[in-house]
Amino acid sequence: MIECTNVYKRYKNGVNALYNINLKIDQGEFVYIIGRTGAGKSTLIKLLNGEEVPTKGTVKVVGIDVGRLSHSKVPIYRRNIGVVFQDYRLLQQNTVFENIAYALEVIGMDKNIIRSRVRGVLNLVGLDDKGGAFPGELSGGQQQRVAIARAIANRPKVLIADEPTGNLDPTVSDEIMTVLERINKAYGTTIVMVTHDTNVVNKHRKRTIALEYGHIKADLPGGGYILDDK
Amino acid sequence: MISKLFRPVIEGFKGVVRHGAMSLSSIFSVLMSLILISLMMIFTFNVRQFTQGLEHSIQIAVTVDYNHESAEEEDRISLAIKDIEGVSTVTYSSKADELEYYINSVANDEAKALFEPYREEGKNPMHDAFYVEVEDGSKLEQITEQIKGIPGVEEVEYGGASATKLVSALNTVRLIGAGLTLALSLLALFLIANTINTTIENRADELAIMRNVGAKNSFIRNPFLIEGIIIGVLGALVPMAATYFGYQYLYRVSGGHLVSDMFVLLDPDPFAKYLCLALLGVGVLVGLLGSYISVTRRLRWKR
Repeated sequence: MIECTNVYKRYKNGVNALYNINLKIDQGEFVYIIGRTGAGKSTLIKLLNGEEVPTKGTVKVVGIDVGRLSHSKVPIYRRNIGVVFQDYRLLQQNTVFENIAYALEVIGMDKNIIRSRVRGVLNLVGLDDKGGAFPGELSGGQQQRVAIARAIANRPKVLIADEPTGNLDPTVSDEIMTVLERINKAYGTTIVMVTHDTNVVNKHRKRTIALEYGHIKADLPGGGYILDDK
Repeated sequence: MISKLFRPVIEGFKGVVRHGAMSLSSIFSVLMSLILISLMMIFTFNVRQFTQGLEHSIQIAVTVDYNHESAEEEDRISLAIKDIEGVSTVTYSSKADELEYYINSVANDEAKALFEPYREEGKNPMHDAFYVEVEDGSKLEQITEQIKGIPGVEEVEYGGASATKLVSALNTVRLIGAGLTLALSLLALFLIANTINTTIENRADELAIMRNVGAKNSFIRNPFLIEGIIIGVLGALVPMAATYFGYQYLYRVSGGHLVSDMFVLLDPDPFAKYLCLALLGVGVLVGLLGSYISVTRRLRWKR
């Protein structure tokens, strides 16, 4: 589902973000990517998302060589993956319903199907009654659930979550994890989650890939937070 | 299908309403700019009207030599004058007409009586004449010289240097007016584009989010273009109304002319109507272009 082969990334300012990354994530897996600031987590996400291209090597997601995509193909590619960010990135002037529907409108889905699809995902993330609310009226945890609902609305095969619990307290983080696990099970969505959150990684054990200085330090099938953050 | 076609329009309207404060600032900048443009256009077009009217009233008087007053000769002279480039009309005036005009131009009745005997056949001292109007006042002198070269022409007069000076002064006023309008319009366009640019700058995150969920550039851009058009139309409404009613009021109050009868104002129908349409057009175009340029610039990011 996701395959990185000999991936290097060096930015124009000379920063080497990733060295010789080789990893394979299968369909339906739920994987954590952990690492300290500057370890290369965000770069890896950007490569998967098509925001950056590798300096060397190939990044394949759902069979597409992301690094070779032309600019005009990037939006189409993104419809195959859902992305959730730490800061939610919701359209503040649009309602919850409209935020989620937007991801479906871009693929030209019929209005009626959009309506039922949005209701379905709102139910999945536990926000059935919030469709008419604006993001500013919701708590952080609720906004993140809206972002997740938007990311999965068009049933992507891959969901990339960049520090989705970063701004949330432990109880709300647990709720978000429950939602993500539900999605992983219900749709068989492959989930790649970048996180700092020791509690989450230790409590909801999954395969964990630890990055350090741009290298893969460890790939633990049984999971657990192995980095010393102090 | 139809709902997909109307989507940008609906989203455009929503955008204007939901970003109310920013929309208002854009609308206000369009409004102020269009009022300035309207004032300059009223000034420029009316000055143009004055100068054209004046230029038109400046004529070249051509008198025919006594020996060439036969109908054939005068036809030849008339044709020769018409053939000169820049001549718009040639009007014939017989020596009898000339005498009549001369006598009428004398204010004193006693003096008028003195000229009466000349009305008798064979006693009229005047010449047959042609009055020549030119298309461009600045060519008066040149055309005068050319007419002088036609055989059978006795004398050619065009009011001398003062006429050319007047025409050139009017042309300068006209040019300054047109230049000011152009400069002001460009300034206004820049102002509007800048305001729209700022409002879109504030929505850069919005654009980034749209791209992140897989929206194509055209899908993102179209509602913004509609927003630009709406802002242009809304911004044009007040200047249009002010121009339409204001100009009619000015025309009515001034009696259709300024200072003297020489400066006749353009009739509000159709001038004010055309002006309103032009303002609407400028508003829409600027809103559209401003949005297009600003959004496109932000969508041209790396990936």
